[in-house]
Amino acid sequence: MTAGQTASNNGDAMGNGDDSYSLSRRRLLQMIGSTAGGAAMYHAMSSLGFAAESPYQGPIDLQGTPKGASVLVLGAGMAGMTAAYELRNAGYTVQVLEYNGRPGGRNWSLRGGDSYTELGGLTQKCEFDKDLYINPGPWRIPYHHHGMMHYVKRLGIKLEPFFQVNYNAYLHSSQAFGGKPQRFREVKADYQGHVAELLAKATRQNALDASVTKEDQEILLESLREWGALDKNFAYAASDAVSDRRGYDKKPGGGLSARPIPSKPMALRDVLGSGLWQGIPNGDAFDMQTALFQPAGGMGRIGEAFGRELGPLIRYNSKVIDIHQDSSGVTVTFTDSLAGGSKQSRRADWCLCTIPLPVLAQIPMNVGEKMAAAISAVPYASSVKAGLQFKRRFWEEDEQIFGGITYTDLPIMNIGYPNTGFQSEGKGVLLGAYIWGFNAMQFTAMTPQERVQKVVEYGSQIHPQYHKEFDNGVAVAWHRSPFTLGCFGTWTSDTRARHYEDLCQIDGRVALAGEHASFLGGWQEGAVTSALDAIGRLHLRAVAQGEKA
Amino acid sequence: MRGLLLLALAAVSAHADSPMFTSRAAIGSLNGEQIYDHICQGCHMAGGQGAVGAGAYPKLAANKKFVSWEFVAQTVLNGRSGMPPFGAPADREGSPRTHLTDAQIADVVNYVRSHFQNTYKSTVTAQQVAALPHPAAELMGPQ
Repeated sequence: MTAGQTASNNGDAMGNGDDSYSLSRRRLLQMIGSTAGGAAMYHAMSSLGFAAESPYQGPIDLQGTPKGASVLVLGAGMAGMTAAYELRNAGYTVQVLEYNGRPGGRNWSLRGGDSYTELGGLTQKCEFDKDLYINPGPWRIPYHHHGMMHYVKRLGIKLEPFFQVNYNAYLHSSQAFGGKPQRFREVKADYQGHVAELLAKATRQNALDASVTKEDQEILLESLREWGALDKNFAYAASDAVSDRRGYDKKPGGGLSARPIPSKPMALRDVLGSGLWQGIPNGDAFDMQTALFQPAGGMGRIGEAFGRELGPLIRYNSKVIDIHQDSSGVTVTFTDSLAGGSKQSRRADWCLCTIPLPVLAQIPMNVGEKMAAAISAVPYASSVKAGLQFKRRFWEEDEQIFGGITYTDLPIMNIGYPNTGFQSEGKGVLLGAYIWGFNAMQFTAMTPQERVQKVVEYGSQIHPQYHKEFDNGVAVAWHRSPFTLGCFGTWTSDTRARHYEDLCQIDGRVALAGEHASFLGGWQEGAVTSALDAIGRLHLRAVAQGEKA
Repeated sequence: MRGLLLLALAAVSAHADSPMFTSRAAIGSLNGEQIYDHICQGCHMAGGQGAVGAGAYPKLAANKKFVSWEFVAQTVLNGRSGMPPFGAPADREGSPRTHLTDAQIADVVNYVRSHFQNTYKSTVTAQQVAALPHPAAELMGPQ
């Protein structure tokens, strides 16, 4: 996701590799980023090898905890609760301080009846029907996020499939095909078919003789025919085989009215000129590859289950205002928002702090200059999600879109269809917008009501049913989140090189964890694995120090 | 090939603007007040009132630190803690992240120093902003 340093996603590959290669690649990214916007940029970066595999190595085993050893955990998000759970199980006395009145942090679902007050004081009441929700934060778990999968299983959370790619969802450009959304299936088949035809042509005109042997050219041609659904002359043209990829004008059926009518492919220049090809690799990035999952009932089910598991170990409504360590322990001062802001403090031998960096940077804490500099070096991304309730599931009933994502160049950027409750009667909720970058900043600057109104307005260009079927909506702008002040930490290869290790090193009795202390920025797996890494190292120090007097 | 590529990308670049919304392509046309309304206000709130949660967004209204235009310009250019940098990258080649020109940064600095009960008379120019350190030319994480 962010410029990394592991073997497969080395930050150097961006800056110090082969110059011509990295420069042209950078230019391409810049062009995509400055024109198509965030989604394309994100996927372009993912496909260029920024996605990192989870380092999760299986359940952590903390042996030999000194008797009476204690840890204060700051933050009851995925990192904090993972740490608290394992430390408690290892015999530590654990206390968690959480700013919100609920567990989970960014692991969160907004459901009918919930309220959310953003920075600035505006409150939204979610008016969705029972059992309908959106996940304002993370919404998918790749199968290879082994740490997340482990805790999901251990907490008894039921998973559902998350459809990253739906061939019947849309790729949409307001500037192409008269603004009419195109089915992913059609764009992919036509792009692939035309490219296969061109490559076959080049091969047969001996243009590849210098790079492919004659024997391999035969294999290549056959593979292109299969890959692109080409005809016997290696042409991409309307046929049953092609319709079997891109769909039919009239689908095959049974009986007298059964005869299918093949569809006609788009011309190559239309496919290229539309820019919609940018959406084709959306499921190819490592962290977007099938299978992906979502917890039944909302992502927030994980945080809620963790919260139940930890029970009274978590103290809610506690705003940390000071962190002070000395030679024998750490004292954390906080205010209780339910008790009129009265000051209290807790003390423990060690402190695992998962507070998001924009917040932590404002809390007095006596750590060394290096960690302090690292805490202040990481800007947070802007992101906005909106959930819209409609009177019926028209995307299923009218357009046969069951789950998955539509991508658009409109400022809403994504429309996510629910991956659950298919064909159910009554109202339905979809993710009306998932927005990054400049678009997200602008949506953040609006009131929640304006955001929802704009999301409906833009979305109706793709689904005209919005006008008639819209019921109500909520919109969460992460820079207005009181508990994070942003969506997630954005590292560059430069800030990684200068600050990342200083952020992760234990400073005296304080260690930091969270997605910001990982190479899986913005992913819950980053929070989980950074927490396990940090408590593993804290544990070694605690064991080395031995039993308390 | 290159021309075709640019053409294709240009096709998806411009989307319909509305009074509340500016396309990425049009970001360079925003003046100081518009930059405040479309970007800064997201965190610093209408009227520069700031906000307080687990942490705080500084109140820009009647802000004594604004006596130093360099402080304001540096903050917009390079960010501060969780606040993203908005300066153009040092090599001026462009960047995938949202950024403003030196003239725009001068304009928004002048705007906030002369609004929200801030009454600093001195104005700053694009040339003065250009002389300050700019962010490194870097790819950011997903934006």
